[in-house]
Amino acid sequence: MARPALGRTTARPEEVGRPRIAHLDRDRSLVTAAQADPARFESLYRKYVAQVFNYAVYELRDHHEAEDATERTFLSALTNLHRFEERARPDDGEGASTFRVWLFQIARNVVAERRRARRRRPETPLETALEAADPHDLEHAAVVRDEASAAWRAVGRLDGDRRRAVVLRFVHEMSTAEIAGILDRSEGAVRVLLHRALRSVAGDLRRDGR
Amino acid sequence: MRPGVLGGEPDIEALIVDRYLESLLARRPTDPSGVAADLRATAQRLTAELPRHHPSFRFEEALAARLAAVAGRIEAGELVDLPIALDARERADERAGLARPVVIGGVITSAALSIAGAAFVAWRRSHPPLAPMSRAVRAVARMRPV
Repeated sequence: MARPALGRTTARPEEVGRPRIAHLDRDRSLVTAAQADPARFESLYRKYVAQVFNYAVYELRDHHEAEDATERTFLSALTNLHRFEERARPDDGEGASTFRVWLFQIARNVVAERRRARRRRPETPLETALEAADPHDLEHAAVVRDEASAAWRAVGRLDGDRRRAVVLRFVHEMSTAEIAGILDRSEGAVRVLLHRALRSVAGDLRRDGR
Repeated sequence: MRPGVLGGEPDIEALIVDRYLESLLARRPTDPSGVAADLRATAQRLTAELPRHHPSFRFEEALAARLAAVAGRIEAGELVDLPIALDARERADERAGLARPVVIGGVITSAALSIAGAAFVAWRRSHPPLAPMSRAVRAVARMRPV
């Protein structure tokens, strides 16, 4: 990658001229194993498949498209794993994972491509499709209730990176540094994004009277 | 931009809210007095109410099998498609404004019309199709008064 995954663009003075050493990446051993033996990529896949799928559902609002995006994300990650370079450092925080940031960067690219394709070929959004679901399908009805919640709708009304920042923060519980790495912004910019998004959602919920 | 609740810079308010969110997600909420009440309530709602979607077991297992097959191909040294690399190149092309005009046969046309396409059209014109119906349609078209 051309830039550090956790949002910094320059090395600190004390780091210049010596190699970076990652101590804390929680995925480091799994990544190293998968780079040596691609069959061991399955551990990383099992660990993150739900997160990537969840992110794709929030972005695409369509379960089938989310499955497709998830598949493309992991296939891309597997075939590009040899290019991945660990960059987490001790003060990136306990458990910081640049692999997760890298994986979500891929997911973000895949989702963006799906959205471009969708603009060329408009389809029914999730909410409309769910309303037309079989009324006797209880599992589906539960999904309708969940996804039609005020919070879900308010987040859906946020635009672009505000929505992504909220989802990464509140659903995936990522740190500001990780979100900055995924969205390719500074940490300060992510803080402002989140703050404005929170204000927007608060206003939306107030207008909804909920 | 509206001022922060502390009356200071909005960036400072964003920083305070961010620290509050960090503590909220760490399940160790700090003193929330610096954060507006409506933002606190909204943050708590989002934390509690946003649904988590999980892929179906069937999908998860099918993808695991596909990844295992691809891993086997990588291990065997076969070339595997790199869709993301292509996507990145597409985006770079978009930024560079690749939809620039291309000159084909003295006519400025769009990049969407490839040189191969132009060559095919030229070849087609010089080689009429063999199907009788196609020849008949062309013959009728040629006879039609302009």
